Amino acid sequence: MNDASWRSRPSFHGAFALIVAARVLFACVLPEAACADQALDAIRQRGTLIWGADQEGGGPFVYPRPDDPSQLTGFEVELAELIASHLGVKAQFAQGQWDKLPDVMDRGDIDIVLNGYEWTPNRAQRYGLSIPYYIYELQLLGRVGDESLISWDDLLKPIDGRRRKVSVLGGTAAQDYIEQLGEGKIDLALFEGATDAMEATELGLSGVDANMQDLPVWTFYSHGFPRLRPIGGPVGRGYYVALTRQADTDLLKAVNEAILKALQDGSLRRILARYRMWNETQMMRGIETNASGGFVGSSISGAEVNNQPADGPTSRFEQSSGWQVIWQRGGLLIDAAGMTVLLSVTAMPLAVLIGLMIALSRLYGPGWLRIPAACYVELVRGTPLVLQLYLIYFLLPKLLDTMFPGAGLTINAFTAAVMGLAINYSAYEAEIYRGGIQSIPKGQMEAAISLGMSKSLALRRVIVPQATRLVLPPMTNDFIALFKDTAVCSVITVVELSKMYYIQARSAGAIVELGLLTGLLYLAMSYPLSIVTNRLEKNLSQERRS
Amino acid sequence: MIELTGIVKRYQEHEVLRGVSLRVADGEVCVLLGPSGGGKSTLLRTINGLETFDSGTIRVGDVVLQATPGPERDKALAIIRQRVGMVFQQFNLFPHRTVLQNVTEAPIHVLKQPPDVAVATARRLLERVGMLEKQNVRPGSLSGGQQQRVAIARTLAMSPEAILFDEPTSALDPRTTAEVISVMTDLAAAGQRMIIVTHAMSFARTVAHQVHILHAGTIAESGPPQQIFEDPQTDITRSFLSEAAIA
Repeated sequence: MNDASWRSRPSFHGAFALIVAARVLFACVLPEAACADQALDAIRQRGTLIWGADQEGGGPFVYPRPDDPSQLTGFEVELAELIASHLGVKAQFAQGQWDKLPDVMDRGDIDIVLNGYEWTPNRAQRYGLSIPYYIYELQLLGRVGDESLISWDDLLKPIDGRRRKVSVLGGTAAQDYIEQLGEGKIDLALFEGATDAMEATELGLSGVDANMQDLPVWTFYSHGFPRLRPIGGPVGRGYYVALTRQADTDLLKAVNEAILKALQDGSLRRILARYRMWNETQMMRGIETNASGGFVGSSISGAEVNNQPADGPTSRFEQSSGWQVIWQRGGLLIDAAGMTVLLSVTAMPLAVLIGLMIALSRLYGPGWLRIPAACYVELVRGTPLVLQLYLIYFLLPKLLDTMFPGAGLTINAFTAAVMGLAINYSAYEAEIYRGGIQSIPKGQMEAAISLGMSKSLALRRVIVPQATRLVLPPMTNDFIALFKDTAVCSVITVVELSKMYYIQARSAGAIVELGLLTGLLYLAMSYPLSIVTNRLEKNLSQERRS
Repeated sequence: MIELTGIVKRYQEHEVLRGVSLRVADGEVCVLLGPSGGGKSTLLRTINGLETFDSGTIRVGDVVLQATPGPERDKALAIIRQRVGMVFQQFNLFPHRTVLQNVTEAPIHVLKQPPDVAVATARRLLERVGMLEKQNVRPGSLSGGQQQRVAIARTLAMSPEAILFDEPTSALDPRTTAEVISVMTDLAAAGQRMIIVTHAMSFARTVAHQVHILHAGTIAESGPPQQIFEDPQTDITRSFLSEAAIA
């Protein structure tokens, strides 16, 4: 699997530049946590090795089990168990957005990242990278029956004066490979999901002629895409490695030992073969020995090399569809919808409260409070939610640790998500209330004051109650928007409805069925609120008429 | 006793009040007349602090209100606002509360009266202004004259030593104006001290003890209504009265 299969959407790029800048800044300001050679002890004491991956990536890496989608399977699940047992502990999975996994590890929530991360020189400078547990290759895929594209040479030939178009995962080794090969003579179509790219190629969407895919992904999914075929042999080798924090050298060594041992005794070969990933390339490492310590050489049967292991059936993509998939996986989506509801109903009241305070500070507060309140609104409104979540989840704990060293202050993902949503929406609420309060005639405040009320009593008894009725409809609108914005929380490891949909839909290949169910669930949550809004608006307009 | 001494107010360069002094004795009904823009409403609103002023002092009983902002002024205003009520041209009833709740709001939350006491008082006052049967409706469904009578009851509920009326009938049609004037006339007869800014001449003539003509930020003439209306001493008063008669 290549990087950035779950890369964030282009609209977030600005935010990412900021995030990168913030990280650089923090890296300069904050000393690296001095925990060298203690990670392994901590893991042993805890009794679990917490490993991070993203289920959304699907097979053969980490994906929901087809027969029981609440359980995980995949070659990295088995590898994690293997490494954990080598350390004498249990493996514990932690879900995280793929491109944020290293950050989650820096935060200390996970011990290692095991999710098809490639070895790159940049990563090697920033993290501890294990010896490779897999040597991946890339495979070019074309359409069955497309005789105009049967070799790599054909790819460089324009057809009807049009350049060939290849689908790839954006920002990956596959993209780099095609770019270097094509030198501008091949067009690229960037996708975010491996199966999406294959599907687009099969259907020829937006003129896509071919797909450049990681070989293990193709092997796993090949029978799900009967109209695709490999073109030429595998190319472009690279390494999948496990990531640890740079300081955790003892852990890195132990992980290396585990991988090496698994290579030597053939257990890694058996795992890979179960997912049809064992091949000549892996064999070329040549370090597997038999019981008496001799090199196994080519005594591994040809059948195993061709991914038909002697010790049982292989796992591969199992497409499910129709009512069956809804029946099987619907429960998980409904559970995830519960998280969406929980996030919304916790965050919104907080947003309302903070928003009201900000609005009142801006309108009636003393001078020294008005400017910071105005700045708060502009700052929060002017930056994306995803960045705010990132700052709260990844940077705030670091900051707290610097300010109160040793206090062990930390923020869990749910709290960070609620805080982020509440802060983000409080700015919008503040503006709504400010508008609402300003639209109350001046005479109301004058009447209240001339009856002897203090300003704060007048606000509480006269102004805010009237403004509340004006702002209820736009507030309900915001609440509906918040419901949908909870989806962004998956960047900080919270699995809510959208994320669960991507995970389940990609692993089951049931994009339509589960998509409809997910849509229905969102509708079931937001439609009652729409009804409330409409009713409120109607009541209000009647009140105004009378 | 309410006493204003040398009140000056400026909007940037423009002097709206140029050292106005006047005195309202206990039980007196004082009417401020004069052309629009003469500073009547502004002067009235300085008394309970809805307008600031630049120099001079206002004395309400033993409380002295200074021009300088600060805690002293805030403290004085808090007392004055409980002693001096106000009735507005636009009524300014609280639209989200019923008629009864409008009247009980301040007694309960400012004077901390027990709700049953406040409600009993409120009903008596609504009866007095002829609005008891509407006690449970919202102000939005009342006519202007009805709203103004409720507003008067709301002010009376604070048992004010004086009530400031800021053009109380200017937003009303002639029929409902009569309702409000009749309520105010009853109040005057009962010895309620009032300071009234109005354009209703005949009303001013019947209820006022003292009339002050305010013109260009100064008092042009003061005196009992007989003097002002029948024997005006200044040209300003005379021209104002003749213009008012044409209008």
